Formats: sequence, structure tokens, C-alpha cells
Amino acid sequence: MLEVDQLLSKKVADRYLKKEVLGEGTYGVVYKAIDTQTGQTVAIKKIRIGQYKEGVNFTALREIKLLKELKDPNIILLIDAFPHKNNLHLVFEFMESDLEAVIRDRNIVLSPADVKSYLQMTLKGLAYCHKKWVLHRDMKPNNLLIGVDGQLKLADFGLARIFGSPDRRFTHQVFARWYRAPELLFGTKQYGSGVDVWAAACIFAELLLRRPFLQGSSDIDQLGKIFAAFGTPKPAQWPDMVYLPDYVEYQFVPAPPLRSLFPMASDDTLDLLSRMFTYDPRQRISVQQALEHRYFSSVPAPTKPALLPRPPRKGDSLTSRPPDLNVQEGPTVLSPPRKSRRVMPQREKVEGDAHQADRVDDHFIDVRQTTGGNTGKSETMPMSIDFSVFGSRPPPRPTLNSADRSHLKRKLDLEFFPPE
Amino acid sequence: MADFQTSTHRAKWIFTPNELVEKYKVSNQRAIKMLKEYGSTRIEVSADGSLSYPEPQLDATKVEKRSHTKPLSIEDEQLMRVFYEQKIQEVCLAFGFPQKIQGTAIIYFKRFYLQWSVMEHHPKNIMLTCIYASCKIEENHVSAEELGKGIQQDHQVILNNEMLVLQSLGFDLIVYAPYRSIEGFVDDIEDFCQANDQLEMLKDLKETAKLEVDRILLTDAPLLFPPGQLALAALRRSNEVHGVLDFERYLGSIISRQQSMHTSSELIESLNLIYSLLVKLKMPSSDDMKPIDRKLRYCLDPSLQDDKKREKRSKHKSKKSSSEKHGLPSSTPS
Repeated sequence: MLEVDQLLSKKVADRYLKKEVLGEGTYGVVYKAIDTQTGQTVAIKKIRIGQYKEGVNFTALREIKLLKELKDPNIILLIDAFPHKNNLHLVFEFMESDLEAVIRDRNIVLSPADVKSYLQMTLKGLAYCHKKWVLHRDMKPNNLLIGVDGQLKLADFGLARIFGSPDRRFTHQVFARWYRAPELLFGTKQYGSGVDVWAAACIFAELLLRRPFLQGSSDIDQLGKIFAAFGTPKPAQWPDMVYLPDYVEYQFVPAPPLRSLFPMASDDTLDLLSRMFTYDPRQRISVQQALEHRYFSSVPAPTKPALLPRPPRKGDSLTSRPPDLNVQEGPTVLSPPRKSRRVMPQREKVEGDAHQADRVDDHFIDVRQTTGGNTGKSETMPMSIDFSVFGSRPPPRPTLNSADRSHLKRKLDLEFFPPE
Repeated sequence: MADFQTSTHRAKWIFTPNELVEKYKVSNQRAIKMLKEYGSTRIEVSADGSLSYPEPQLDATKVEKRSHTKPLSIEDEQLMRVFYEQKIQEVCLAFGFPQKIQGTAIIYFKRFYLQWSVMEHHPKNIMLTCIYASCKIEENHVSAEELGKGIQQDHQVILNNEMLVLQSLGFDLIVYAPYRSIEGFVDDIEDFCQANDQLEMLKDLKETAKLEVDRILLTDAPLLFPPGQLALAALRRSNEVHGVLDFERYLGSIISRQQSMHTSSELIESLNLIYSLLVKLKMPSSDDMKPIDRKLRYCLDPSLQDDKKREKRSKHKSKKSSSEKHGLPSSTPS
């Protein structure tokens, strides 16, 4: 017994040899470490415990419980979990970079075959999740990690959930805004795997454009951006739309040809994109169907993971992203029939508690633990560029990782329903 | 998560009867040894999961005296676990939690006591923490404070034990309680019987089966059989009451459709074993618990025994023990 206990705590200190800090997130520090038993390099996420009134960190528990059951080449491997000196340690396989760093690196050229390969790996990981009835709910390039062998793996399951129980209601405050599906933006509480497909479509578009595709500055603006790209949906196209809790009527704008947004893309690319970006979640293509789409069987074949272009290792010069100047104007929001508080501003103006969560999003930007890139807010805009000329700053990359903050946490976890 | 086949539950938490006997024996003997050497079995737990053990007794006379403290037998431990598993059901019912919360909490509790003796960690505390953890994991969050308040218990105890419980579960937190399987089988039975006029009967079949599952959860069966078999055992029992279908024939149809590795007779044998566990299940009453609980209190705090010998201090003692966190089972929820 005593021996058992000693073994437990020793294993921690002895087994893993801590190296440099890889990053610092809202819920802890991430270290690089060597597993002395296997010689393997690992990443250890260290999460303080007993810090909040609600015991062991919720986000961490979600991640552990799901990753313990999910084992797939395109899902991050959770190797171990243990408490040590007032911290919970999660041991993951070590990943070299992430997709956001790839997309941002201007020195990298992504061929159509490279894009296909990255998308295929993303969808394979997602298909595995959906097969196991797990929604990821935080798909974005930053959460798609890239291993030393070039394999892309889904990570950060802190917002993930099991779905499939009939009538179970979920929070719609999931995903970083730019990757949020229209049904979520309209406040739906009952949704399915289609939300991950939409986000994957945004990532697909981002791989093609090399910048985030739909960069809304608020939820309303996000819908505006979506409608400007694909046209305002007609009820015939998406019958359930008008019944969604936060539905507001938008001025009708027709869809520009998809080709005009992605001038270089092949017909197969555009076809798959449009199926993934389908408004009605019931008609949106499933991940499995997407993987069977002819885009993946037509030439060029996807690049082998080991041959994919990757950003230089950490420590190389800071790559700064050129500012995004093609700010699209969204259509005007008409005043909604029921909700006067939604009478709508253009961008930037945030009012009313309906937008609280967005403000929270932007406020607690999480500097992620990824290794390759300079992600999140740590990236600074070149000093010489004065955005006041354009009337508005380019929006900071929104994240939704402040689940530890108790106020938002309550928002996220307010899924306790009085029992039937 | 609907894939039991690849789950940690199937891979790590289904045992043979012999393995269970061995595990219970090991933890019981370890606690007895600790009692002999240290005079107490109390292990203090802190929120980060670290443990501190009683100080070794240097005073020989005290050890001598305390060596009279009687440890719990393996059977005592078994009864005590069943008692607190019943309490889990009572608490969950009182809070109106969904059945799967109750199922998960009980399975956590069972798994926990595969690693520990009840003498080492008081089951009342572990029971509360298992309920709390189950709510958290099943996305039905209730704050520790709310939970503690509802049953007049110190919520700090719940939080202090959380990490210990999670760790003892090996962080395998998704468990498959049989309730969901019952739903699935009843849908299937509906097709099997092509019973459009029997919907009422099927509903009765389902409800009685769920009550059977409540009882099956109090046996060792959840550690020995997969949830599907537990559900079938419950449905078979329920069908004996309601007589909705020819159950043997139904089992045959499941086997033939699944092209399973098992034969019909193997399945029936499993169901019979579950049935026999259910027959053997002894529901301890509060009276049954009193002597065991007294033993447990002395194991955890032998000084109580010293106090008892000094009769005149009995008043002081009762005061002290009522402020003790480890009260009698009767002080648990009403």
C-alpha cells in the first residue's frame, strides 16, 4: 500500500524528464518532456487543481474521458494522466506543429495535392469521432496538430461532447466564431455532427485562401459574412431556419458564384466545398460522405503526410501575418420581428447581454500550446501599419477556451436540466 | 459514446469471479496489516490526490491495547459496500438525477473499492464523491456545494476525495450502465414481436426491467458481465412477470443476427449467473450495519475505543463523534 503510493508519485517525477515550456494556456502550462521508460518525446499539459470551487478542471476532465476512449491515427494520443504536486498532468504524444502555422507561413507553398492531404486527414479524424458519437465542437487550424511524421491529428477535446441522445440540448456557444455553423449562430440547442462539417469546410477554405475565410467581428457580423459569401438562405433552402431561437431576418443578397471566391480551385474542390457549406444541416454532407467524394479519388492524389510542407521548427524568426485587407461588407440586417435588442449595428458595436459571450471570447484569448507557430495574440501586427485608415481593426482571432473562467464556464455547462 | 467493443470498460473493467475475490482479499488484508502496524487504518486525502498514512505507533503499550481493535472481514466490507450503493440510489432519487447518473456513480464506487478497503477510505465520503464525479462526467453538473447541502454533508469532503477517486478509476471515466441497453433491446423486441397492440405491455416490460437493473447494480455482476448481458438478464426477469414474449426464442434470434462468437447456451449461462447473484444479494438493514459501522469507526480512530473505556467521558465522546466527519450510516440522508 505504502509502496503503491510511493510508486505513484515517484513514477511522475522519475518517469518524465521535463524540458522546455512549449506554451501557456488559460488552463495551464505545456512542457516538452522525455518519457524515460520509452525514450519517447512527449508533451505534458500541467493543470492546477483545487484552484476553483468546482474541483478538478472541467475542460480537462472532458478531454481525458473522451481521449481515453478515442484511439485513431488522426486523433491526438493521450498517453497518461496523473496528479502530482497539486497539478494534474496530461501526457500527450509530442506534436511538432499545427495547421495554423502551416497556413500562415508565407514561405510554404501548398499545392492542391497538399491541401487535399491535410483536408483528408482532418476529415478522417473527424469521421472517427462521429462514428463514436463524439462532436469535437472546437475545430480550427490551431487545434489540428502536425506530428513529426507529418500526420495531422485532432487535438483539444475540451469542448467535445457525446451526442446522439434524443432531445438532449447543448449550448450553442461552441467553436471559435469564424468556424461556427449558421445554425449555431442562430442559437440552436439541438444540433449534430453538421457543426463540425461546417468548421471543416472553413478550414478547407482557409487552406485554399491562406487566410481565415469568414472573419466576423460579432455573431451577427459572422452571419453577414456567411450570407455575403453564399447568399442569404431562403426558407425553401433551409426550412427550419426561421424557427431557430435567435433567428433574425437579413436583407436578401444573392450568392456570388463560388468560383469568384476561389478562382484557382478545381470543379471537384468547389463541389465538395459547396456540399460542406450547405445551409440546412440536414442536407449538409456528412464527414464520411465527404471522404467518399470524388475530390479525394480524382487527380492529384493527396500528398503523403511525410512529404507535406511544414513550417520550420520553433525558434526560427517570427513570421508576421500580413494584414488582411479584403474586408468584406456583409448585408444589412433588417430589424427582427420579435427581438428589438437585435436591431442591428454594423460591425464592432456590441451591445446587450446577448453578446456577452463574444466579448468573453475575445477577452481571454488563449495563447495555445502549439509548438511550431506563433499563435494567438502573441503575434503582433507590424508597427508601420495603421489600421485606423480602414475604420476598423482586423478582428483578433477569436477563441473559445476560457471555459475555466467560472462565468463562462457556467454558460458552457448550463446544461443541467431538471430531471424528467 | 456508443462503442462498447473498443471501450476501456470492456478492456479493463470486466473481471473473472476469481479476480474479484482476489482483489477484495488483497485490500482487506492490506488494511488489516496497517491496523496492526499503525493502530489505525485512516488515510488522509488531500485535494491533489496525495495521501498521508497514520504515524507508526512507537508506544508499545498503546499498540498492544489497540491491537484489540477488530478489523472488518471481507464479508463485512461487502455488506458495507452494498449498503452505500443503496444510499447512492437513494441520494440520486432524492435529487431526481437521471438513471445513468446513478448507474455511473455505482460503477465508479465499485471500481474504487477494487483498489481500496472500506477501512482505508470511508464509503460515505467515497459515495458522495462518486455521485459528484458521475454528474460531472455525464454532463449533468451539480456543484459540490449544492450536492453537499442537499444531504447535509460537508462539500469539502467531496472535493478532497475527487482526485483520489479519479485516479483510482485510472481516469477511465466513461462507463456503460445497462439502462441504455434496455432501451435498445425493447425497441428490438418491438420489431421481434411485431407487436403494435402490445405497446403498453412493452412499456411495463421496460419499466420492470429497469427496476431489476437497479438491483443488479448492487451485486458484483457489473464487474463480471458486459452491460448488454446485464440488460438482457433484467429483461428476462421482467418478462417472467409480464409474459410478453418467448424469451428463449428471442435470445436465439439475437445470436443468429449478430453472428456472435457466443452460442445461445453460453448467453443463457451468463444470464443464469447474473440471476444467481441477484438471488444471493443480501440487502443490509441499518441494524445489520451497526456492528460493522462500529468496527469501522474504531479502525479509523482507535482513540474512540479508549474513550469508551473511560465511561465518565462518554458525554464528551458523543459530542466529539457527532462533530466527526465519519458518522454513523444513520446520519446519512433521510
